[in-house]
Amino acid sequence: MAAEVTIAPRAESHTLLAEEVRLRAHLRDDLGVRTRFAALPDVRALLVSPAARDGAKALVVASDATAAERIYLYVHVAAHIALEHHLPLVTIVEGPPGIARLETDARRHREAEDLARAMWWGRRGEGLAAPRLVRGSAVLRELVSRGITRAALRSLLLAMRAAYYDLRIERALARTRLAAWLRDALCVTAVVSAAPQLSD
Amino acid sequence: MRIRDAERLSRAIGTLGGGASLDRLVDRVYDLTDGSLALDRATLHRIARGKTRIARAIDSPEECVRLYFALMIVGCEQRLSVETVVAEGRAVLASFVGEPLAALIFRDLEATLPKLSDRTTLREYLEEGIRVWLPK
Repeated sequence: MAAEVTIAPRAESHTLLAEEVRLRAHLRDDLGVRTRFAALPDVRALLVSPAARDGAKALVVASDATAAERIYLYVHVAAHIALEHHLPLVTIVEGPPGIARLETDARRHREAEDLARAMWWGRRGEGLAAPRLVRGSAVLRELVSRGITRAALRSLLLAMRAAYYDLRIERALARTRLAAWLRDALCVTAVVSAAPQLSD
Repeated sequence: MRIRDAERLSRAIGTLGGGASLDRLVDRVYDLTDGSLALDRATLHRIARGKTRIARAIDSPEECVRLYFALMIVGCEQRLSVETVVAEGRAVLASFVGEPLAALIFRDLEATLPKLSDRTTLREYLEEGIRVWLPK
């Protein structure tokens, strides 16, 4: 997860925060994962699982993770669970980007990355996928797949968002499909900027 | 439970306790295990002094593992190094009779610990370990 240089957002967007809440609820309700946040100086997240497949699991996420990074971690951890990497009784440790991993861990991490990418862009099922309006957009997917275009797109979308609020036109446009598409596009771009491995 | 190495267990409890009084240690273990491991002061005193080879208050392998986790969390709270917490925790577990659950948990611990270099993270892992692996 290499962070990219771009215009800093004023604050976490409501769309991004709502997505984070939705995915966290999905983990809880569908996968039995209770999530909490704590200061974790050396790792980004820990998934502690019981020996049994259906037992309650606990995910501890670094409290300094952004909403975009949390979304990536949820999708990635869900991929590990789908691949049953947590069985029997194996703690999944998500370290900071770029750390050296043991070979077994590296292989499993790559498998989870591949599945997470498929889940995130998948057209079926709402659970852990990107927002529906933009999920099928080939143009958006192409733009976020490369660092330069992703950074440029994110800067553009943030500038549009700033103008949207500064010009006080949000009431007029809030319910339009265009505004909804742009909100979702900004959300997806933010997540892929935090976790470029989610792009192709 | 029968204690295999009372002297080593005594030293491990002393180190992980970091000089805290036995009363405080008893209270902390009680809190950390949500009351599921109610050691009385006299029992802990005997174990911590290496004066007994039978710990009747700890009468199942699960309770051994609970004590093992709780004492390691106390070690983290006493700001001991990760290496010390792990080594002394291992001594606590090894001092009791082993069984499959302990072996399984120990295997995960062995694989997970190299990835946790910070005491704060180790503490979070141990806290979730107690909740997930040893629910009341």
